[in-house]
Amino acid sequence: MLKYIIKRFLWIVPTVLGVLILLFSLTYFLPGDPASVMLGPRATPELIKDLNHRLHLDQPVYARLVYYILGVLRGDLGESVWSKHKVSSLIANALPYTITLAVCSMGLAVLVGIFLGVFATIYKESIIDHLVTVISLVGVAVPDFVAACLLLLIFAVHLNLFPVLGAGEAGNIADEIHHLILPVISLAIGWIGYLSRLTRETMLEVIDSDYIRVAKAFGMPAKHIHYKYALKNTVIPTITVIGLGIGKLLGGAVLVEIIFNRPGIGKLVVDAVYARDLPVVQGGILMATLLFVLANLIADISYAYIDPRIQYE
Amino acid sequence: MIQENIANSSPRRSNYGKKNSQIKKIAGILRIILHDYRGQIGSAFIIVMVVCAIFSPWVAPFDPYELDILNRFASPSLTHLLGTDYLGRDILSRIIYGSRVAAMVSFGSVCFSAIIGVILGVVGGYKEGSLIDYGIILVFDIVRSFPQLILALAMVAVMGPSMRNLILALAFTAFPFYGRLARAETLSVREENYVKAAKALGATNTQIIFKHIIPNTLSPVIVTGGMDLATMIMYEASLSFLGLGVSPPTASWGIMLKNGLTYIHASFWMIIWPAIAIAIAMIGFSLFAESLRIALNPKERKLHG
Repeated sequence: MLKYIIKRFLWIVPTVLGVLILLFSLTYFLPGDPASVMLGPRATPELIKDLNHRLHLDQPVYARLVYYILGVLRGDLGESVWSKHKVSSLIANALPYTITLAVCSMGLAVLVGIFLGVFATIYKESIIDHLVTVISLVGVAVPDFVAACLLLLIFAVHLNLFPVLGAGEAGNIADEIHHLILPVISLAIGWIGYLSRLTRETMLEVIDSDYIRVAKAFGMPAKHIHYKYALKNTVIPTITVIGLGIGKLLGGAVLVEIIFNRPGIGKLVVDAVYARDLPVVQGGILMATLLFVLANLIADISYAYIDPRIQYE
Repeated sequence: MIQENIANSSPRRSNYGKKNSQIKKIAGILRIILHDYRGQIGSAFIIVMVVCAIFSPWVAPFDPYELDILNRFASPSLTHLLGTDYLGRDILSRIIYGSRVAAMVSFGSVCFSAIIGVILGVVGGYKEGSLIDYGIILVFDIVRSFPQLILALAMVAVMGPSMRNLILALAFTAFPFYGRLARAETLSVREENYVKAAKALGATNTQIIFKHIIPNTLSPVIVTGGMDLATMIMYEASLSFLGLGVSPPTASWGIMLKNGLTYIHASFWMIIWPAIAIAIAMIGFSLFAESLRIALNPKERKLHG
C-alpha cells in the first residue's frame, strides 16, 4: 500500500511540471505582443517596457519558464494586470465560494442519489424503478448550465422564490444558503442521475451474491437484508466516486457560477479571459487543476485501499 | 520461402473471412439496438438532428439571420412556430441551423481526438515499458489533469474564437481518454495467440499494428466516441455560451441560450427553446450510446433485459 502511494505521489511531480509548462506556453502562443494586448491600444512605450520588465517578458523563453515555475513554487502567482491585486489573494477570495458549491452539490447528490438507487432496487421492475431510471437518464444527460437556466427562469424569475444573482451578503448565513440552493440543485442533478444508477446496478449485483441468498434462506426479513447487509457493500464504490466528483465540480462549475453570478474560481478565470488578464487566468486554471489532481489522487488511493488488486497494476 | 508465403497470405485470408463476419456482427448489433427502446428513441432523435443539420436551408421555415424588429419577442404562433428572439429572428430556424454547428463541432472533435488518441495509445502500448511509452502516458496524464472545460476555454481564448479552433481545442482536451483506451486494448491484444502466431510467422510490426491491433481497438473507441458526441455538443454550447465558441450572428444553441439569459425578464421563449434543444440532443445521444454499450457487451445485455 505504502509503495503504491509513494509511486502515485512521485508520478505527480512530472505531471504538475507538465501542467506548468503547458500553462506557460498558453501565454507564449498568445498572438501579438502580450504587453500591448494587456494594456490596450493607447499604451505608451514606457508602460509597455515597464510591464515587459515586470513580467520578465524581455528575457528569453526558457528563462521566463524558469521564472514562472520558481514563482509558482514560492507561492507567487503574480499580480492582476488590471487591479494590481495579488493573484493568490484573488484566488483565496474566490475559492471558498467554489468549494462550498462543489461540496454542497456532491452532498445533496450522494444523499438523493443513493436513496433513489436503493429505492429502485427494493421495488425492482415496478413503476418506481422505471421512474428512477428515467430520472437518472434525464439527470445525466441534461447539462448543468441548461438546468441552471431553466431553474433560474422558473423559480427565480417567474415564481420569485429565490434570488436571481450573487452569492448573498457575506456573513449572513441564511441569505447565503438562500442564494446557494438553485446553483447546488443545478449541479447536483447530473450526479443524482449518475449515483442513483450506480447504486442500483451495484446493489442488484450485491443482492445476487451468495451471502444475501443465505440470509434470505434463513428467513431474514427483506428490509433487514437490504438496509443492513446489501447497502453497506453498495455504498463502498459510491464513496470512491465522491472525491472524483468534488474534483470535477471544482473545475466544472464555471457556467453555473457565471449564470448565478457567484464570485468563484470559474467566474474569476472567465472574467480574466475576457479582460486578457493573463496572470489571473494562469493562476485560476492552475488552482483548479491542482485541486482536480488532488481529488484524483485521493480517489485513487481510497480505491486502492478498498480494492487491493489495483495496487499491482 | 514457404514461411514467407504463409506469413503474407494468412493474414489476408483471415481478413477476408473476417470482413464478412464483421458485417454480420455490425448488423447484429444494429438489430439489438433497434429492438431496445433506448436505441429506438435515441436513433430517432439523432436522425432528426442529422437531417436538420444537413438539410437546414430546406427544413428551416425562415432565414435564421433575417431581422424583423417589429416582431421581436413574439410568442409562438403559426408563422413563427417557436416565436422570435430579441432581433425578431425566427427561433425555430435558428435552432435548426444551430444543430449544424453542434453536429460539425462534436463530430469533428470526436474524430480528431480519437485518431490522435488511437495512434499514440497503440504506439505506447506496443512499446510498453519503453521511454516512449512513459512519455506518452505522461502527456496523457498532463492533459487529463486539467478540468476539460477550463482547458478548452483557455485554448480557444489563446487561439481566438472560431469553429476550427473550437474543434482543435476540444479534440486536444479529449484525446488522452481515447489514448488510454487504445493503449489498454493494445496491451491485451498483444498477448493474444493469433498475434504471437503472426509474429512467429514473420509479420512486421506495421502489419501487426494495422491488421490486428488497430481493428481490435476500434470497438471500445467507437462506443466512447458515441458517448463523447453528447459531451462535445455540451462543451460546444458551453463555450459558445461564454462567447468563446463560434461567433455571432452564427446560430449556435449556446449563443441562443446566452441571449435568452440576457433577456430572461423580457421573454420566456428565448431561453426555453435552446435549453430544450440542448437537452433533447444530449438525451438522444446518451440513450443511443447506452444502447450501443449494452449491445456490445453481452453481460450488460443480461442485466438490462
